[in-house]
Amino acid sequence: MDAPVLSARGIVKRFPGVVANDGVDLDVRRGEVHTVLGENGAGKSTLAAVLSGYYRPDEGELRVDGERVTLHSPRDGLARGIGMVHQHFRLVDRFTVAENIALGDGSQPVVLDTSRLEREVTALGERFGLSIDPRARVGDLSVGERQRVEIVNTLYRGADVLLLDEPTAVLTPREVDVLFATVRALRAAGRAVVFISHKLGEVMEVSDRITVMRNGRVTGDVRAADTDARELARMMVGRDVDLSPRRAPRAPAAPMLRVRLDGIELDVRAGELVGVAGVAGNGQLELAETIAGLRTPPAGRVEIGGVDVTGRGARAARRAGLAYVPEDRLGTGLAPSLTIAENLLLTRRRGFFVNRRRAAAQARDAIERFDIKASGPDAVTRVLSGGNAQRVLLARELAGEPRVLVAAAPTRGLDVGATEAVRELLDAFRARGGAVLLLSEDLDEVLALSDRIVVLYRGRIAHETPGDGADVEQIGYAMAGVV
Amino acid sequence: MTSFALERRPAPRWWHAVLAPVVSVFAALLAGAVFLLLTDRSPSTVYRALLESGFTTWFGFTDTVSVAIPLIFTGLAAAFAFRMNLYNIGAEGQLYAGAIASAWAGLALAPHLPRPAALVAVLLAGAIGGATWIVVPALTRAFLGTSEIITTLLLNYVALYLMRYLIFGSASYWRDPTSTNFPQGKVIDPKAQLAVFGDTRVHWGLVVALALVVVFWAVRAFTSFGFDMKVLGDSPAAARYAGIPVARTVILVLLVSGALGGLAGASEVAGRAYTLDPNGLALSLGYTGIVVAALARYNPFAVALVAIAMGGLQNAGISLQSTPGNHVPIAISYMLEGIVLLFALGGEVFRRHRLVLRRAVPA
Repeated sequence: MDAPVLSARGIVKRFPGVVANDGVDLDVRRGEVHTVLGENGAGKSTLAAVLSGYYRPDEGELRVDGERVTLHSPRDGLARGIGMVHQHFRLVDRFTVAENIALGDGSQPVVLDTSRLEREVTALGERFGLSIDPRARVGDLSVGERQRVEIVNTLYRGADVLLLDEPTAVLTPREVDVLFATVRALRAAGRAVVFISHKLGEVMEVSDRITVMRNGRVTGDVRAADTDARELARMMVGRDVDLSPRRAPRAPAAPMLRVRLDGIELDVRAGELVGVAGVAGNGQLELAETIAGLRTPPAGRVEIGGVDVTGRGARAARRAGLAYVPEDRLGTGLAPSLTIAENLLLTRRRGFFVNRRRAAAQARDAIERFDIKASGPDAVTRVLSGGNAQRVLLARELAGEPRVLVAAAPTRGLDVGATEAVRELLDAFRARGGAVLLLSEDLDEVLALSDRIVVLYRGRIAHETPGDGADVEQIGYAMAGVV
Repeated sequence: MTSFALERRPAPRWWHAVLAPVVSVFAALLAGAVFLLLTDRSPSTVYRALLESGFTTWFGFTDTVSVAIPLIFTGLAAAFAFRMNLYNIGAEGQLYAGAIASAWAGLALAPHLPRPAALVAVLLAGAIGGATWIVVPALTRAFLGTSEIITTLLLNYVALYLMRYLIFGSASYWRDPTSTNFPQGKVIDPKAQLAVFGDTRVHWGLVVALALVVVFWAVRAFTSFGFDMKVLGDSPAAARYAGIPVARTVILVLLVSGALGGLAGASEVAGRAYTLDPNGLALSLGYTGIVVAALARYNPFAVALVAIAMGGLQNAGISLQSTPGNHVPIAISYMLEGIVLLFALGGEVFRRHRLVLRRAVPA
């Protein structure tokens, strides 16, 4: 096997109160896709920042081609051939692709030779299967295309080692396929790719080698061919996790939620989970808020448990048996400065007075039953982790046995352990005869949980399929508006 | 290269909340001493005189409390609305409107009422007057999204000139027809005048103000309306999600805030001047109430304490100026008031943040 192009030994990086990296070793080789896998907060992004020169490690050493280096800045990293492609793009919308690539590149002449630059960009793109028009304005490009610009930009600066930080988080399934084709082209051309992710399925698909991190430490370093998703999940979480598909345990009964809107005809039955797939911004928020009584549709109707609640307000929808977990959990679903006890009261019916003692007792009960990690009922919600905040939200929404649960992106940003817990709660609610409408951009989640799947595109249902044996490719096409 | 930076304290400790204002006041007095020395005055003499005339003598202290009464009302008015991110800058105008309404009740209604009813009538009229003055800003804020800062502020001037017009500019119902040389208001019915305690100038308005301090706290702590206010103040999106009637709550809170401002005017009319006295009312009591509320961090109990401290400073300023031999102009007490405010706001920053030394990463 080749000598590693980039090698890290004993990397330690501390922040006030946490050790983000605690003695991390990593060897990246040319012609290899090396994945760093871990939950949120495992230290992946910190490691990437150390490798690319954004952070200097407190301890440990970096070697590039066997030579010991100290990287003072990302520019330093690039000079050594290490380039980072960020999760959040750093592009100027009004500039063209070529102008964005020239931006901040000291090697460009004072007067930009645009046509030469454009030729170079095009040539570079063709070499790695990154079709890109150097004259297009970045503001007109799709998310996937912008990411390609970022990758080309990094390659243009001469990167041999490309660090991709959660690159699939913002992409549709089809765009992910295109990205992976690029990653394979880079590997074939002898570049090294460090792929940072927490999505097991993608990691298994594209990696050669996988380094698993947990709590700042490396818990596993394996070849992709020698492992499976179950083992990776165990290394990632530290115990066995079950994210296997779940389906309705019994035949669904009468419709609990009936939606009759322009372009959206949807019934969710008792004991059924219907997943709504789609790229963000295709009407998911509007659909959820219309069901929740927060929006009045120009036409059509929404029934919950047979009661017409169209535009009757949030309280009417709740009285009819609705529970709603909004996508923006801290800020909409929960009031961040209020305590857990107060947030559990948020959507309850209250009299003239608020019974604080009873609220505290309910909060203690919820903390225990939902396994919420918090100092107590008076803990301010803002300081909770995403998973614990979501447990508070679900504890409140599932209390009082609602008939219908609308859950938008319920596991987004949560680590594997919390994701598993949330999925179990959704599943248990379904098993008790609840009707669930799950809106999620995470197609894997929709596939794993749904009895039925509908795809939302531009505010209308573009595709509908049973969850069992759903054709992922067709769903992907529908998400992209190709039917 | 080394630089300083403010970093958010992870968890402010309880003693920070006590220490910050104490240190701030001492720092302010030190800074004030510099100005006193520069103008050839002995800081220790001025500060001692200030303490005596404002706080440590019985006469001085009771006078301070009487000055503080309207500040408690206007401080509560600001705190009640500001807590919900509703910035009612109009306590000044609401105070005038409340004073006008209250004087009218004291003149027109009180003669026909038994004493307790007359007192209730003047106070209630003041509250209604203040609330009326904020009706338009409240409705436009709730339904059109106009800035209540601008609308309440501008209405202050309308109220001020209306009040002046009623006494100085017209033969209105409020003006005493016998006062020809210097126009004055008619004196309200004795049944509508709030009694004073003993030989002090402290009147029963204080009891009303302190009762409202407790009500303010209880509403926020124990009622559903207070809970809705808390949610709405923290996150309007969460309030909407929870089905809290946002517009109704905004209107109600602003009306209550306006009523509190109006009560300040009523208590000045019924407890101190016994007439609509435009000059005696135009002391920026409404604006000072905003300062009081800010220093009290919108806590009602702290509003009462801060109002007394601010009242003491103002009261001392007046008596220092009028005491011969001191040569302390009232500007000195205004300057001290300003410095205390500046340092208190600075202290608030340090309560929440800490100063850290940052070594720049070598480039």
